[in-house]
Amino acid sequence: MSDRRRNVYVLTAVGLLLLAALLVVVGIPGVVKARKTKLGLDLQGGVELVYQAKPTKQSQVTADALNRAIDIMQSRVNQLGVAEPDISRLGANQIVVDLPAVKNAQRAAQEVGQVAQLFFYDWETNVIGPGAKPAPGDQAVTGGPAAGEPATGLSLYDAVILGSKRPPINRPNDTTNGTWYLVNDKTHSVVGGPEDSRANLSAERAPPPGSRVVEVPPGTIIVQAQTSATPPRGVPLRYYVLNDNPVLKGTDIKNPQQSFDNGAGGTGQPIVTFDFSSHGKSVFQNVTRQIAQRGQALQLPGTQPSQVFQHFAIVLDNKLISVPYIDFRANPDGIDAANGSQIQGGFTIDSAQRLADLLKSGALPIKLALISQSQVSATLGKQALNQGLIAGLVGLAVVALFLLTFYRVLGLIAVGALLIYAIYFFAVIKVIPIVLTLPGIAGLILTIGVAADANIVIFERVKEEIRGGRSIAAGIAAGYKRGLAAIIDANAVTLMVAFILFVLATAGVKGFALTLGIGVLLSFLTAVAATQAALGSMSRSRAISNPSAVGAGPQHRRWRYDFMGASRWFFSLSGTILLIGSLAIGGKGLNLGIDFESGTRIQTGFAHAVSENQIRNVLKADGYSGALIQRVSGNNALGPNAFQISTKTLQPARVATVKNQLDQRFGTRNFSSESIGPTFGTTIAKSAVIAIIASLLVISLYIALRFEWKYAVPVLIALMHDLLITAGVYSLTGREVSRYTVAALLTILGYSLYDTIIVFDRVRENVPRMPRAAFSQIVNRSMSEVLTRSLATSFCTLLPVLSLLLFGGQTLKDFAFALLVGVASGAYSSIFIASPVLTHWKEREPVYRARRIRLEREFGAVPAYATPVGGAPADVAPPEPRRRRRGALTAPEEAGEQISREEFDELVRDLDIDEPKPAQEPKPAREPKPARARPDGTGISPAEVAKAAGLGDGQAEDSPAEDAAPEGPGRTEDLRPEDVVMPKRAGVDGAGLGRPKSPKPRGGSAGKGRRHGRRR
Amino acid sequence: MGLLAWVMMGLAIWHFAIFLPDRFWGGIVGAFLGALLGAIVIALIINLARTGALRIPGRHATELVTALYAVPGALLGIAAVYLEGVRRERLAG
Repeated sequence: MSDRRRNVYVLTAVGLLLLAALLVVVGIPGVVKARKTKLGLDLQGGVELVYQAKPTKQSQVTADALNRAIDIMQSRVNQLGVAEPDISRLGANQIVVDLPAVKNAQRAAQEVGQVAQLFFYDWETNVIGPGAKPAPGDQAVTGGPAAGEPATGLSLYDAVILGSKRPPINRPNDTTNGTWYLVNDKTHSVVGGPEDSRANLSAERAPPPGSRVVEVPPGTIIVQAQTSATPPRGVPLRYYVLNDNPVLKGTDIKNPQQSFDNGAGGTGQPIVTFDFSSHGKSVFQNVTRQIAQRGQALQLPGTQPSQVFQHFAIVLDNKLISVPYIDFRANPDGIDAANGSQIQGGFTIDSAQRLADLLKSGALPIKLALISQSQVSATLGKQALNQGLIAGLVGLAVVALFLLTFYRVLGLIAVGALLIYAIYFFAVIKVIPIVLTLPGIAGLILTIGVAADANIVIFERVKEEIRGGRSIAAGIAAGYKRGLAAIIDANAVTLMVAFILFVLATAGVKGFALTLGIGVLLSFLTAVAATQAALGSMSRSRAISNPSAVGAGPQHRRWRYDFMGASRWFFSLSGTILLIGSLAIGGKGLNLGIDFESGTRIQTGFAHAVSENQIRNVLKADGYSGALIQRVSGNNALGPNAFQISTKTLQPARVATVKNQLDQRFGTRNFSSESIGPTFGTTIAKSAVIAIIASLLVISLYIALRFEWKYAVPVLIALMHDLLITAGVYSLTGREVSRYTVAALLTILGYSLYDTIIVFDRVRENVPRMPRAAFSQIVNRSMSEVLTRSLATSFCTLLPVLSLLLFGGQTLKDFAFALLVGVASGAYSSIFIASPVLTHWKEREPVYRARRIRLEREFGAVPAYATPVGGAPADVAPPEPRRRRRGALTAPEEAGEQISREEFDELVRDLDIDEPKPAQEPKPAREPKPARARPDGTGISPAEVAKAAGLGDGQAEDSPAEDAAPEGPGRTEDLRPEDVVMPKRAGVDGAGLGRPKSPKPRGGSAGKGRRHGRRR
Repeated sequence: MGLLAWVMMGLAIWHFAIFLPDRFWGGIVGAFLGALLGAIVIALIINLARTGALRIPGRHATELVTALYAVPGALLGIAAVYLEGVRRERLAG
C-alpha cells in the first residue's frame, strides 16, 4: 500500500472515529442523546464505604462469597432508593460501596454492611450462669419475666471472663469458631475485640500495655442485651453468655414485613412479621412445644403462670432483638407456624422496616468490617469538578501554546491531534463508562503532557532530519520512523506502571491509573498515527514547503557541553540534596496522612464565625479532646468560617454525633468527613510497597530486553534517586503524604523514564555509528542531540502539572506537587545521573577501555567530543542547512528511499570518489543533486549505493542521516589539539592538549579504518 | 522510616564516590551496592548497640542522629568495594 493511500485511510478512520466520539459527547439534538458522564462521589457528593470481608463459621472469604455479598448489598441499596449506586470488589477481600447523593453515612453503613445473621435460641436452657453452665431455673441468670433485658445482664468484661471458662464445644450449628477479646484485668474492661482469631486482635495495632488475650471458645457466644429503640446515653451496655446452640436461623424464615401489633390485645407498636419455610415451621412448632411444656412443668400451685413462662430468643448479629415468652396455657402444643410469626421488641417504624428489609435481603455470607468511610457534600463535589475542568483546560491551552510557538505548522497539527485526543478520551469515558473521579482528572491532565511529549520527540527528530539535509517529506517520514522506537518504549513503560497501579491501588487511585493507561493508548493513536498521516498528506504542500515552517530553520545554537566531564559536579549536587533529605527524614520524618496513620478528618464550614477553642470545647464534651483543629481558607464552598478537624478513627455513628453537636452549636455548612481505619491504612501502605517493587522489576526487565541489562541498572539508580529526592522534598516541606502521593510517585516511576529512554535510545543508535569513540564521547554526542527534546518534553509535562497545582482542588494539588518534584527530578536524573552511571560502567568494558587508552595516547586525554569545535563536524548535522530547491528531483522521492547529504558525502568518501576536506575547514559540500537523481530521473536507492560501497544488504538502509561518518584514525588526524573540546580533568589542561601522541598520517589506512568501522 | 533515612544517606554518600578513580570492584554500580549494603548493615549494628534490639527504627523512633548511623557503613562499604577492586586489578596484573 502506498504511503498516500495509507494516509488517506488513517485520516478517514480518525475522522470517522471523531464523528462517532462527537456523537457520544454532544449527540444530535432531538435525534441522538449525548451520553451522561458518570461522576465519582468526590465530584458529585455522597457516601463511600469500604468494607473488609472476614470469614464466618459458615463461610470463608472467597470470590463467590464476596459476589453473593455484593448482590445482597445491592438489593439493600435498592431498597434505600439510591440512584446509581456502585458496589464493587476491591482486591481479594474488600468491597467498596459508593452511594451518590446519600447524606447520612451512619444510616448507609448500618443498612448496607450489616451482616444480618439471624438466629433463634431456646432462651432458658442456653443462658450460662456463674458456674459456666446453663442455669434454666435461676431467674437471676435468665432474668425470669424480664428475660434478655439489661437488668440481669453482665458487663462485657464479666461476660467475656465467664464465657472463657466454658469448655470448647463443636456442634455443626455453632455460629463461631471461637471469639477473641483483649481484656484489662486491673480496670475490668475489654479493650479489644471481638475478633475471629487471635492474630486479628493485634493486626491493626499492638495490644495496649496491661492487656491480655482471652478466648471465648467455640460453642459459646456473648450477646448484647435488649435495648430500647432510643437507649439512654451514658448507660453501659449489658451482655449475656449463651450456649451457642441455635434452633433456627435466618434462612428458615421468609416474607419478612414491617407491620403493627394490631391483633387482639395488641399494643399497636411496630413489629416485624414473617412466615416460616416448611423446615422452619416444623422446627418452630417442636421447639415452642418443648418450651411451653417446660414452663408448665415449672408451675407450682399458687404461683402466677407468667412467673414461669419460658422464652424464645431472637438474636441478630449477636444482639438480642426480642425474647418473647411462650404462654403454655394458650399454646400447650407449641405455636402453629402455619400463619407465620412476629418479632416485637420496642421497634420504631423505621427500625422495624429496616429489620424487615435486612431479613428480606438475607444475611451476608461473610462478616464485613467497615475500614473506611467518607462523605462528600454535593457542593464540595461540584466545586472540585469545576476546579478540575479549569485545570484541564488551562493545561491544554498552555501545552497548545507551547507547541504552536516551537513547532509552528507541526505544532498546529499536534494541537489538532491534542483536541481530537481530548474528544476521544471524553467519549471513551462516556462509552465504557468510566467513573470520572478527581484522581481520574489528574490522570487525564497528565496524559495531555504525555500526548504532547510524543509529538515533541517526533518533531525534534523531523527537524533533525531536515536540518541534516533531507527534504521535508523525507524528513517527516524518517522522523516518524526513527522517533517511534523511543515513544513505544516510553509509553510501554508508563502503560505497565499504570496497569500495576490499577491492579494494586485503592479505589480512588484506580481511576487515576485507568485514565492514565487509556490516555497513553489513545495518545499513541492521535499523537503518532493521526499526525503522521496528516503531515504525510501535506508534506508536499506549500504550507510546509519551507523548513522554517516546521521549525527546522537554521540552528543558531547547538548544545556542546561536556556532560560527562561535568557529571561529578551534578553528582555532588544530587548527593548534597539527598544528604539534606536524609537528615530531614531522620529529623522531621514524613507527614503521613490519615490514609496511612488512620483517623477521621472532617471538613466543614460554619454559618457563624467560630474559634478553634469553641470547636475544641464541643468536641471535648463529646469525649474527643485530642482533636487537631485547623482553619481552612480559600474554599468557596465551605465559606469563610471553614475548619478541618482531625481525630482518631470515628465510626459513622460517632461522626454523626459530632456533626449534630457542631450543627446545633454553630450551624454546619457542606459537612464532609473521611474515616480511615488502621486496616485500610495498612492495606494502602502494603499495596504501595508492592506496587513500587513490581514497577521497578517490570521496568528493569523491559529495559534489559529492549536495550541490554547494563542499561537497566542506571535506570534503577536514577529512579531510586527520583523517589528519594521526592521523599526528601516532602519531608523538608512537611507536606502531607496521602495515597494520592503514592500514586503520583508510581507514575513518576513510569514517566521519569521517558527522558532516560530518549537518551539511551540515542546512545544505542550512536554506538554502532561511532566505532572508535570512547563511550563518554558517544554519550556526550547523544546528550547534545537529544537535550533539547528532553527539556522540551519535561517542560511540556510540567505545564499541565503546574496547571493542576495552581487551579486544582486539594486532591489534585496532592498529585501535582509530587508529580512536579518527580518530573523535574526525573528529567535531571536522566541526563545527569543515569547517563553518567551508564558511561562509567560501560567504559570498564574492554572495547571501550581500549578506545579510551588509544585516545589518551593520541590526545593526552579523552576529548569530550569526537569532533572538532566550530567546524562542521562530519558526524553531526551540517552547519548551514540549505534550502532544497523545489523541483530539483526529476522523480518524486519515496519516503525512506532517498539518502541525506551526509550519507551521500560519506559514501563518496568511502568510495574514494572524492577526497574529503578537513573537518575544521568546512566547505559547502557539493550538491547531492547528481547523486540523488539518475539521468533517467530515478533516485539512487540506499541499497544501490551500499552495494557500490561494498556494504551488506540493509546496512545502508539503516544508515542514519546524521552521524554518518565515523571517527577513525584519518578523522583524528584532521583534528588539531586546540580544536578539541577537552574534559576538565585534574592534570589535563591546555598543556596536555598540546602534546598529542603519535598523530598518524592520513592516507589509505584511514580509509580502510573507516570502512572497517562501518562494517562493524 | 529509619531504613528510608539510611538508604538515602547511603545513596547520598555514593554520589561522592565519583571523585575517586574507578577502581571499584564492579565499577560505579559495585560502589553503589557497597554503599547501600554497608549503610544498612552498619546502621543496624549501631542501632543494635544503642537500643539492644536488632530492628529498623520505626517512624517515631527515627531521629536526626538515626540517619547518621548510615554514614560509617556507607563509607566502609565503598572502601571495601574499592579495595577489592584494587586487589583484583593487582591479581590480574
